[in-house]
Amino acid sequence: MLADQIETRADAVRTVGGKYLTFVLGRASYGIDVLKIREIIRLVEFTTVPQMPDFVKGVINLRGKIIPVVDLRLKFRLSSAESTERTCIVVVQVDVSNGVKTLMGLVVDSVEEVLNIGQNDIEAPPDFGTKLDTSYILGMAKIKGVVKTLLDINRVMTAESLLAIDQSLARV
Amino acid sequence: MTEFADDPITALVRLTEKVALELVYSEAGKDVGLLPLNCLLGEIEEQVSLLVLPDEVKQAVKAARGWIDEVFESTGVFEQPVLDRLSQWSQWMLEVLPVAQSGQPLPPADFLAPTASVPAAAASHAEKIGADPDEPILLNLEGDGELLREFINESYEHLQNIEGGVLVLEENPTDAETLNSIFRAFHTFKGGSGFLNLKPVNHLAHELESLLDLARQHKLTITSEIIDLILAGRDSLKLFVTEIEFQLTEQKPRAPISFPIQHLISRVLTVTTGSQAPTTRPARAAAASAPVAPLSLAEEPEAQVKLAIVPEANTPPVPEAQVLKSTAGALSVKVDTSKLDSLVDLVGEMVIAQSLVAQDPYLKRDQNQQLTRNLAQLGRITKDLQRAAMSLRMVPIKSTFQKMTRLVRDLSSQESKQVQLVLSGEDTELDRTIVEEISDPLVHMVRNSVDHGVERPDVRLARGKSAHGTIHLRACHQGGSIVIQIEDDGGGLNKERILAKAIQQGLIPADAQLPEGEIYKLIFQPGFSTAEKVTSISGRGVGMDVVRRNIDKLRGRIEITSTLGVGSCFTIYLPLTLAIIDGLLISVGRERYILPTLSVRESFRPTPQMLSSLNESSEMVLVRGKLIPLLRLADHFEVPDAVRNPMEGLVVVVESNGQARCLLVDHLLGKQEVVIKSLGETFKHARSLAGAAILGDGKVGLILNVDSLVRLQPDRLPLAA
Repeated sequence: MLADQIETRADAVRTVGGKYLTFVLGRASYGIDVLKIREIIRLVEFTTVPQMPDFVKGVINLRGKIIPVVDLRLKFRLSSAESTERTCIVVVQVDVSNGVKTLMGLVVDSVEEVLNIGQNDIEAPPDFGTKLDTSYILGMAKIKGVVKTLLDINRVMTAESLLAIDQSLARV
Repeated sequence: MTEFADDPITALVRLTEKVALELVYSEAGKDVGLLPLNCLLGEIEEQVSLLVLPDEVKQAVKAARGWIDEVFESTGVFEQPVLDRLSQWSQWMLEVLPVAQSGQPLPPADFLAPTASVPAAAASHAEKIGADPDEPILLNLEGDGELLREFINESYEHLQNIEGGVLVLEENPTDAETLNSIFRAFHTFKGGSGFLNLKPVNHLAHELESLLDLARQHKLTITSEIIDLILAGRDSLKLFVTEIEFQLTEQKPRAPISFPIQHLISRVLTVTTGSQAPTTRPARAAAASAPVAPLSLAEEPEAQVKLAIVPEANTPPVPEAQVLKSTAGALSVKVDTSKLDSLVDLVGEMVIAQSLVAQDPYLKRDQNQQLTRNLAQLGRITKDLQRAAMSLRMVPIKSTFQKMTRLVRDLSSQESKQVQLVLSGEDTELDRTIVEEISDPLVHMVRNSVDHGVERPDVRLARGKSAHGTIHLRACHQGGSIVIQIEDDGGGLNKERILAKAIQQGLIPADAQLPEGEIYKLIFQPGFSTAEKVTSISGRGVGMDVVRRNIDKLRGRIEITSTLGVGSCFTIYLPLTLAIIDGLLISVGRERYILPTLSVRESFRPTPQMLSSLNESSEMVLVRGKLIPLLRLADHFEVPDAVRNPMEGLVVVVESNGQARCLLVDHLLGKQEVVIKSLGETFKHARSLAGAAILGDGKVGLILNVDSLVRLQPDRLPLAA
């Protein structure tokens, strides 16, 4: 069972090389496949949607489209931070379910750069045991001595988090 | 195919009983019941051929088939003698069948006597109502102009679909999806032309539809000959359509329109009747659908222009018709909805950007005259553009509803029923695509209501209802949806029969336990048909199939409630996407919300005397002598820093579905027309929210779903602070 998991994970790692947008949350650096990124916008005022989990900041108007915005710091259970000049919203396209795609905004501390990360620089995510679910991690990339966590944004934003949204809505 | 799994004689008796039942509903001069009868007789003949029965019975069955065929070949409508003979036949059969295998002598079948009078009567009838398919079309341009234009626009699309489909068929003659789509194209053609009394078109489309129906039931193999037939049919239909268009756009003088189609129809008939394998249902019957009302020519004689008829045998005047440039393209352009959506979105954003620029403090300080003028000009253009973009999409449903008035009038007079159509909410504005897409389903459903819902006056009186049937057609915005409702006070749907038929047709397992609403929904299954008109379902269920497809396409849903003997109600819920509502902008703390103005009854600042609490928990407000529960929006939505004391805020009374709630808000900010946008997948379960809209400052405002707010149970209301 475990061996299977490791194997599939290794499979996944083999296909994750490519261009990544890296950004910073707290002291850690993360990467998202650039193909998922629609745009990066400055922080705008949200409209709070009632009775949402705290990491759902609300909705914004993206040129006439209404999209939800998620605070990745809160999502990853980091302490919340004051927004700065560099705080921005990364708009990603997420596969919600059955091929339904939707745009979502992610609040991050700052955006770094787009990196071409080779396959050889990526390692499978460490196994933290059951304490930490790492299914949303594609792999760990070591770039110039810094470790960057590559995220599978579909996993970050769908299964678990949307469930949380639904659960909180069940009360509404 | 046997109807039920009981013994063959009982099955025959059942089928004959159904014939008798159909006969009750048939009458001279109409074709009501013709197709089901043909189908039933076909089944009877099939059964009889498998059994050992006296010759008399076999002959009688054969004779009955012959009578129906005669009707088809002559006028297409029943003559009284035929009906009489058929009812004698069914009585005789019911008498004879139980004893047929016992060897007893059978009562004489008097009705089998030769009938010289029929052809004569048929011929005279043909003259009377003019069922000759080559009969020219006289356009009623004054009365039907708008409808004709619509018909033409739609027709071009269908013609294109047919042509495209044929190309696919040439590659893959058994492609079910393509066969269905061509079939539906002809079906819609038939419906539209029947509605507008374009008899030759109607006739031709009907025959072609039957042809395709056989093909899609795998009773006919598509050969190149049949493809040629379909294409020839399409070309003939196109001739009619272009000619109608030319007269409509006054590119050609008004004249009766006639193209020879008789030879084409007979070619199609040769194929359809020739393909009848002994074990299949007859083509005609398979093609049964609620026949469309031929409109009486005499009704609007002043609008008719009669000229000489010049039908040229077998040489359609193609060149002439094609010299004139077709303007169908110029009349309207079909645009991808997503393109329109993004256009409207972008225009909205432009308006906001424009107002930001116009109010920019730097520019204001500058006071450059040229700049001020240019900005004002930009402002005007932006406003016009916005109006134009909005109007692109929104149209009232009125025109569609009015079409129904006419449909009901014609259908009811044709079927000698008394049906009154009551319209409400005609001014409800709908997305143009929704109005377009909903038109066909509505025609089908209203026709069903008249055909099979509302009973004949005598039946109604016998059931203790007024002779006058009523169909309500309503449209309104409700909660997060646009609701269109068709309600009749007719016979209702027969649950058991639908269920039995669905099980028999293998649509659901025999032991399926379905809730009532799900049972009714079975009638939307493709090909579902109870083939029993009395169950208030159309002949072969094609109509309902199309209805569901269209509604699915709009991401809507349909619900059916029905009480046997009392009536049925079909409710279509359509999404609000891109609908505009009149909104009341309210504020709660730092948040702003939009309430649909339609559901707001009044708003006021309450006095202490108006407030009370029940069991020290649920707060109530006394409004005009009625106690209405108070819902503190700030508590419900967990908004901080909102007004706590009702006497310092405002109470907005909202109402939906007859239930009311008082909402405690901070301020009313104003009224505003807003474009409703969906909140998307992420928030699709947020029942308190109907959607969102972009406000004047570019921020998002959430639209509250009053429908769900009023349904919050009082015990779920937060405690009084």
